[in-house]
Amino acid sequence: MLFNSIEFFVFLPIVFGLYWLIGGKNIKTQNLLVAMASYVFYGWWDWRFLSLILFSSLVDYSIGLALGKDQKQSKRKVLLWISICVNLGFLGFFKYYNFFLDSLIDSFTFFGSELSINTLNIVLPVGISFYTFQTLSYTIDVYNKKLEPTKDFVGFMAFVSFFPQLVAGPIERATNLLPQFSIERKFDYKNAVDGLRQVLWGLFKKVVIADNCAKYANIIFNNHTEYNGSTLLLGAFFFAFQIYCDFSGYSDIAIGISRLFGFNLKRNFAFPYFSRDIAEFWRRWHISLSTWFRDYLYIPLGGSRGGTSMKIRNTFIIFIVSGFWHGANWTFVIWGALNAIYFLPLLLANKNRINTNLVAEGKYFPSLKELRQMAITFFLTLVAWVFFRADNVTHALSYLNDMFTLSLFSWVEIFPSTILALVLFFIGVEWLGRANEYAIEKVGFMKKPIRWAFYVLLIILMFAFTGEEQQFIYFQF
Amino acid sequence: MKKFLKNIIAFSILAVIAGEVVVRMTHAMSDIPQRTIDKYGIQKYYPNQEGYWKGGDHKWTINELGWAGELPSSYNNLITIIGDSFIENFMNPNECHQSAYLEEKMETYNFMEAGRSGVSLIEAMEISKNMDSLQPVKTLVYVNNNDFYESIREVKLMEDITQLNLKDSSIAYGKMKAPGLKKVLYTWKLLYYFYNRFPLFVQSNNTEAVIENKVDEYENQLKSKLEIFQLIDYISNTYNITKTTLVFHPNCNIEIIKKCKTAGFGVIVLDSSKDETSWSFEYDSHWTCYGHERAAQQVANALLK
Repeated sequence: MLFNSIEFFVFLPIVFGLYWLIGGKNIKTQNLLVAMASYVFYGWWDWRFLSLILFSSLVDYSIGLALGKDQKQSKRKVLLWISICVNLGFLGFFKYYNFFLDSLIDSFTFFGSELSINTLNIVLPVGISFYTFQTLSYTIDVYNKKLEPTKDFVGFMAFVSFFPQLVAGPIERATNLLPQFSIERKFDYKNAVDGLRQVLWGLFKKVVIADNCAKYANIIFNNHTEYNGSTLLLGAFFFAFQIYCDFSGYSDIAIGISRLFGFNLKRNFAFPYFSRDIAEFWRRWHISLSTWFRDYLYIPLGGSRGGTSMKIRNTFIIFIVSGFWHGANWTFVIWGALNAIYFLPLLLANKNRINTNLVAEGKYFPSLKELRQMAITFFLTLVAWVFFRADNVTHALSYLNDMFTLSLFSWVEIFPSTILALVLFFIGVEWLGRANEYAIEKVGFMKKPIRWAFYVLLIILMFAFTGEEQQFIYFQF
Repeated sequence: MKKFLKNIIAFSILAVIAGEVVVRMTHAMSDIPQRTIDKYGIQKYYPNQEGYWKGGDHKWTINELGWAGELPSSYNNLITIIGDSFIENFMNPNECHQSAYLEEKMETYNFMEAGRSGVSLIEAMEISKNMDSLQPVKTLVYVNNNDFYESIREVKLMEDITQLNLKDSSIAYGKMKAPGLKKVLYTWKLLYYFYNRFPLFVQSNNTEAVIENKVDEYENQLKSKLEIFQLIDYISNTYNITKTTLVFHPNCNIEIIKKCKTAGFGVIVLDSSKDETSWSFEYDSHWTCYGHERAAQQVANALLK
């Protein structure tokens, strides 16, 4: 079920009504309703894959209980590895089996031999990368004794399958979300209104900005040989805003809906395109995934505590794994490696934490220096996005090769002025609201008629400039 | 909770009103003319309607006789043009209709169109019979393969389309499909916008696609051919086809064309294969102004021969 579908617009009020009217103050009924609604939400896409979520929940719930009882370190380690193998086993099979097989066949061909193994026609279960990491965080945290294992299976099922963030995040830590299933949740007017506002902003980002940018990004990327350098740069620009508004829009909707049900999810994006360097960008982009990798991979590997070679190794590992998490394609691996290359000089020069404050804090406009820094950082991410968007490595290289020519300084061959004006409007609103959790969080200062007129304006823009409906990009990850 | 629900309801009403205004002002949805069924069982439009096509670039008009487009200045030396949505042609302005192009190319004739989306071949023949009172010198019926299949109840049952029941050689006139719902949808444009943007019955549409595939599969099978041949024989025996010319869309089934020739129809077969420019819209199989102009040119060439 898509957030921007008519089915969801029917589904949400029903679940909301049942949750607060029937569920009332009874946590167990509320949890059961959330779990059931989440299974309906996921099963709407393909009910067969519900068994995967259920199995994953059962395994991690049982292992969590066993970890709580067993104090012997060696046994605990075995239990942890069982959980890791089961979860990553499913992920590996569904997402990476064909990729590894194809790569193996290609390597044999490269060395002159032939390997004949048939690939499988595997359907990737939606959101598998997200809920796998979520359940893994539970087992790891219980193993590290940061979290008490839960004895409430229904609450645990609801945590793993929580429908607002099930298929595209934010990837919630068990330490943050799971305890919320065992505390009393009361309807809070302010929180619910704030949640709806965030949903509205998320829908605007997705329906107006992402879907419209997607149209032009697709045209330019799919026919890149026909365009000059500046148009190809514009194509990358459109894709940059497509992916940002698509994914952060989804996160906003997920966080907003969770608020309607009395849950607080973690922030996933913090205005990444206003970053002054790549390190800041990665503190602001897909925060739930970056911090997951930081806590469960980078730090256990030694983080940046060791010598230079260790720093370089760990940085490459975390970025490449992060790239690979996005999809079984060499383009994602290169995208990750490229970001590692951008990030390393800052880390090695110990300058990766110089921009931790808000850009141009308390000012309307950035300084020239800040503007230059933001432009350079944005341009670097733009180049990396080409790999992310391209069909394969050859496509990406050819795109960049055609982009970095003298024609980069000629006039663009496609100029959708309305869409560009909408993107500028969006950037303006984001800039003004960059000190908040999400851009329009603080519109409460406006008087009610003006505030409502602003919401209606957003809805009107959605009606008037609805792009062709595209599935959320991150569903495929 | 009460305050929340109250505000939600108030805001929703405001948003619906604002949305309706925007959809109407931007012509996000096409205006749809209202239909009626005349005393002969023919579905046509209420006379003298007009509205905007999606995007608001041009207007469509319904003439005094209840058909799309303009009426001829005179009924002398009249050629009638009958067909489905290609002839109705709401997606193009009136100057891109077949009648307009043919008039330019055949100045001594007058042309009158009777087109409505969903018209089957048998319904086209019924329309033609009713237009005989205008004494046309020729009747052009624009057809494609589907118009034959959709004319036969036993091949593709469609309650809203006039069809021939081969079993007892009777004609089942089409019924209006969900007229109440349509009236609501066409009046409440925002709802119509949502209905189009988020189709509820995707699965039933898929089922229709499956039926169409079956029809394609039948194309080369004897049973279906027999039924189509029976249909053609029925038409040639029941209607006066001496002045009727069937204008076949490009890529129509050659056996159907041959059978129609033998049955006594005049036949013109359109050919777009030599054209580098497509006749159709990018996201719609209907012809653009260019497509209509090319089609009219080929028809005029054939008629003037």
